[in-house]
Amino acid sequence: MRPGAKRTGFSARRSTLAALRLSVLQFMADPQWLVPSMIAPVIFGIVSFELFRGAGRYYLTYAILGAGMMSMWGQTLYGSGWATGQDRNFGTLEPTIQAPTPYVYVVLGRVLWNVVSGLLGGLIVFGVVVAFAGSPPTVPNPLLFAVLFVFVLLTLAAVGVVFAAFYVYTRYAGFIQNIGEFAFYVGTGCMFPIVLLPFWSNPASLLFPPTWALDALRFEAIPGYAGLSWGFGWDLLGAVATTAIYLAIAGAVFHRVERHVLETGHLSEY
Amino acid sequence: MTENGTRASFLRTFWTNAVFAPRTSLGFMRIDFVLGTVFVVPLTQMAFFALVDQLGGMTNQIAFTAIGNAVATVTYSSVFSVCQTTDHEKEYGTMEHLLVSPANRAALYVGRGLIPILISLATVTVGLVYAALFFGAVIPPAHLLAVAASVTLTAFAMVGFGLLLGGVALYLRTSIILGNIFLFVGLLLSGVNFPVSALPVPLQVLGEAIPLTWGLAAIRSAITGGVTPALWWLWAAVAVAAAISFAAALGLWKVFERRALATGSIARF
Amino acid sequence: MTLASSPAIETRGLTRLFESRKGFLFREITRTEALRGIDLEVERGAIFGLLGPNGAGKTTLTKILSTLLLPSAGVARVLGHDVSRETAWLRPRIGLVLGGERGLYNRISGRENLRYFADLYGVPLGERERRIDEMLERVDLVESADRRVEEYSRGMKQKLHLARGVLHRPEILFLDEPTIGLDPKSARETRKLIRSLVSDGVTIFLTTHYMFEAEELCPRIAVLSKGRIVAMDSVDALRRLVGGDRTLEAEAYGFDDRELEALRALPGVSKVVTEEFGPVMRLTLRVRTGDLGLEEVRSVLAGRPELSLRERRTSLEDVYLDLVEEEAR
Repeated sequence: MRPGAKRTGFSARRSTLAALRLSVLQFMADPQWLVPSMIAPVIFGIVSFELFRGAGRYYLTYAILGAGMMSMWGQTLYGSGWATGQDRNFGTLEPTIQAPTPYVYVVLGRVLWNVVSGLLGGLIVFGVVVAFAGSPPTVPNPLLFAVLFVFVLLTLAAVGVVFAAFYVYTRYAGFIQNIGEFAFYVGTGCMFPIVLLPFWSNPASLLFPPTWALDALRFEAIPGYAGLSWGFGWDLLGAVATTAIYLAIAGAVFHRVERHVLETGHLSEY
Repeated sequence: MTENGTRASFLRTFWTNAVFAPRTSLGFMRIDFVLGTVFVVPLTQMAFFALVDQLGGMTNQIAFTAIGNAVATVTYSSVFSVCQTTDHEKEYGTMEHLLVSPANRAALYVGRGLIPILISLATVTVGLVYAALFFGAVIPPAHLLAVAASVTLTAFAMVGFGLLLGGVALYLRTSIILGNIFLFVGLLLSGVNFPVSALPVPLQVLGEAIPLTWGLAAIRSAITGGVTPALWWLWAAVAVAAAISFAAALGLWKVFERRALATGSIARF
Repeated sequence: MTLASSPAIETRGLTRLFESRKGFLFREITRTEALRGIDLEVERGAIFGLLGPNGAGKTTLTKILSTLLLPSAGVARVLGHDVSRETAWLRPRIGLVLGGERGLYNRISGRENLRYFADLYGVPLGERERRIDEMLERVDLVESADRRVEEYSRGMKQKLHLARGVLHRPEILFLDEPTIGLDPKSARETRKLIRSLVSDGVTIFLTTHYMFEAEELCPRIAVLSKGRIVAMDSVDALRRLVGGDRTLEAEAYGFDDRELEALRALPGVSKVVTEEFGPVMRLTLRVRTGDLGLEEVRSVLAGRPELSLRERRTSLEDVYLDLVEEEAR
């Protein structure tokens, strides 16, 4: 071993892939972790379907889409932060932060896995609610629908990256997220258009990329959907723009948060 | 030096666990998080289902849904948090020390339910106030005592149910899955958002096995009619559900304590 | 001084405050000064030992130097680079072993743990597997490498921590109690590994509670107490500092003040410490010169037929206890 030998430092791609691989290994070691993120959506989907019963055929689409989205949210958004919470519990957050790789790449790798498992969870929930309802929703353009479905997931992933910083920041992030879980579901209109919410709350809802993406998806899936009055194209543009903003600020947020935890010395607390 | 085999009294073990155990569970006793659970969660959960009602054109259903969800929030501290204390003990590595202690198991486990009962009572009370203030529910002042009694009984029964699940979690690697199932299953099976009678019969039977179903029926009955013979029967049903839950919890903790010691799962999380 | 010739570690006035908050409406803030103006210099390619009682600030200092914590005041440089501002340069060159039951991914194998961190540290891909095998062999974990970490004993976890810390071939390695939880054979192997790393040119910063370990491994030692360095030098110099490298011990059923005064007045005696063990009293004399022998002591304590006397070399443990107790006073 020769000190001073050439340092490779880190490779963003390799670190991201390493984190993705670690997530897969941990999932394989204990696949039951997919279940918690699916329970609430399945139940919420069925309950909503029951409440929508008799309201019209397209309301089934609301229930199914809402449930699928909630599952993907659970896995992608919550899962990304939760994995950092686990790092705290295992005591692995310190050695990971101490490594030359900026933590944001580790989170990115995990988010990539959560996108895959979120899609899996979303499809399972989708299937369960469809089975309960007895018939699949009528979708005018299934291909576009599928593309938008994945796109919604990507917007969630972008929020997930930023939310994960919160878990580095404080050991209480999980509790705060639990308290805010319904507020997030309501605020982003996962089961209903946000136009049903008080007008003053709409700007806050529009800060989240999934709000836009989900609205675009409903435009595609539900004929005659009014939603946000500016239409499908602007929804799509809004989703892309807010996602880009989230991804752009993610690096800065992580840098700041990493610095903050080194200042406070709270990294090892769990 | 030994204490010659002396054991702490039942009351002392009960009190120690009542006060100490929740504090060890991260965030459980942080006053701001308790306030968040009590004040934020009921409102957002009720708003969610009220908006679903609104979208489905069922505005006349909103008060019914709001009361159901106000009561259903009892599960956050009574079921989920109680269940999760087992996980925390395992994570911190304190579970083994707890089980090797000579402490009376009934006092140890039941003591853990005291604070969750108080938080549950607060959460449901705040939820019912929200239901009346924002969602059009009418709770006649003359019926308040009957409602309070029903809420108290329901909180007791649900904490017993939470302890029961905590016993199972002792054996499992984690209680999160179990906690999550029973955190939300009541929304479907207990008449929270629509009457239990709307469910297929097998699901109705399942619903009747959850104390929340009886508790919610009692609270709805107390709100609409005050103290009536029907309410006495419902109170009896909730009391029976509570007794069964606590008794089964104690039995299960013993059984799963043995199983966990046999399999070595006690130290894994 | 060029960067290459700068000390491996250099700190000036290093201070670290911790704040803890309690309460909701009326927040109560408690401030603890974990490090109070640490001045330290460690040369390259050496093993430097840091001793101190629990809570003295050893882990805090280790974390600051390994870029896991920022100082509240003062400067810390590792390999000539500021630990607060040049973390990106430093991290690939630093190895950190905090040890303990935590800090590993329990649900995956030891080998997968190493593979993950090899990737985060940018260990060249072509070398990764060979290096992992080499490290597993050096810490004697080859047979259990593919088992889940949750099945490992405490000692095996400690070895895995160590393997992870050196996998990327750091220039400086911070070891926080590396042999804690290890059986004697494994502890000896670990010390051998540490020595071999030094012969490869790695600088080691070691904190330990095992005095014999520090004495065996570390040419220079610092003693930290209540956030301050109370002494820093070679073991021999520290012996001289506490009053000599010879220690004479006398045991009897009590000694009177006149005898103690007479012992203190003997030439070369720098310090007399009394301890009681039930009815037995022990006097420990630190002696600077070789002139004073057991016979001179025996003549002072002649009136005590039960007297037992012995001489030994002043151990690092004696030095440590003297320094820490003096600081506590």
